[in-house]
Amino acid sequence: MPEDNNQRAKVTLIDDNPLVDVAACLFLEDIADKQGASGMNNYLVSLATSLAKSMPEEEYDTWDEFIEALENGESIISAFEEVMAITPNCAVTKKCPFTRGWQEYTKRIGEFSKIHTDVAEYYNSVYKPCVINSMCIIHQTFRNAAADRITIKGKPLKCANIAAVWEDGTRKIAPDEWLPILLEKAQITSTDLNMILRNNADVWVIYTD
Amino acid sequence: MLDVALVSLIQDMSEKAGVEGTIQYWARVGESLAKRMGKEAYMGWPSFNVALREGRTAFSIEGSVMALTDLAITDVDGDVVGYIYALETCVFNPTTVRIRYSVGELPRADRAVADEYNNSVRDTAVCNFCVIHQRFREEVSKNISIADQQLDCIQLAARGFTGETKIAEDSMRKIGINPEYVRSLLRNYACVYAIMMKGARLKGEEEE
Repeated sequence: MPEDNNQRAKVTLIDDNPLVDVAACLFLEDIADKQGASGMNNYLVSLATSLAKSMPEEEYDTWDEFIEALENGESIISAFEEVMAITPNCAVTKKCPFTRGWQEYTKRIGEFSKIHTDVAEYYNSVYKPCVINSMCIIHQTFRNAAADRITIKGKPLKCANIAAVWEDGTRKIAPDEWLPILLEKAQITSTDLNMILRNNADVWVIYTD
Repeated sequence: MLDVALVSLIQDMSEKAGVEGTIQYWARVGESLAKRMGKEAYMGWPSFNVALREGRTAFSIEGSVMALTDLAITDVDGDVVGYIYALETCVFNPTTVRIRYSVGELPRADRAVADEYNNSVRDTAVCNFCVIHQRFREEVSKNISIADQQLDCIQLAARGFTGETKIAEDSMRKIGINPEYVRSLLRNYACVYAIMMKGARLKGEEEE
């Protein structure tokens, strides 16, 4: 059988209507008006966790099988984004899934409300310091909660963000004390990381204990 | 991704704040979106309809909207005071499909929110998101003027993902449009509404 016939088609979801994304941003801003950055943060975390929990659990027999599902968009962890595995333990998100909504927001409404970065500062100081704005909180929380629903050879998947780049070029890289460990697990160097960040949105490490 | 995440929160929100609470949240989001988009002014209906076609008005955020210029709304003097507009694809349709292929099914709260809105506010919703964007249109029309006159938006008909329709026959009688004609528009469009001059003296209203 020719090799092409063995390759499964990549699963991609149709694009959403950006009005729904913009409305979601305004809903979160409304929450922040009443409950401040910490209240907004609670909603973001709850939103992402509840989304992951509503998705089916997954089991893989081998790491290769998982990576194939990840790259083909068949795994819940890559359901909303195009993911490529640079090394067996390093995944990159090519384009941030929140870009379209943000672009529509800035086009139709104006500058992204400051609360979206204020809540990120709150999250970085309380949880894990690798988010740029509210969208990253949803994204990274979802990824961690989705990883909790995946097992490979019976072991739970773990993931951690190494770096993120927003549409305007803002970068957030894991703190210096964590970075060498994360890079080692991901099997990339800091030079590799900088090269990857030129044309990708997120770099994350995936592993099992 | 944000859209699917938001929908997964509806169930949780509706359990905590009740479906009435979700409706209030959604209505506030619609209002706030309209307010944040600012004001617009047009010389006349042709310039507004061109802006709509080119995606420059606040209404265009919903997607491709057609001005049905063969369906003009006239006042008691026979002057054109508005038109019927039709949205090609429901704003929520892509999200419904995305949920089907990522999560599995819509939360029960989607139906519950729409039903509560139909019972307590207006019988025009086919899904929970109708609450946001029907309110959004009402508020947006207040921020737009044509020939220095403020606009008004009236929801006429909607078709949901499963084919369910909602037809506001009373509103259609007011503006003198046959409900059967609007029903046939739903074969091609997902949502039909009227934009007209606020306070216009309509034939249908005179007859009442």
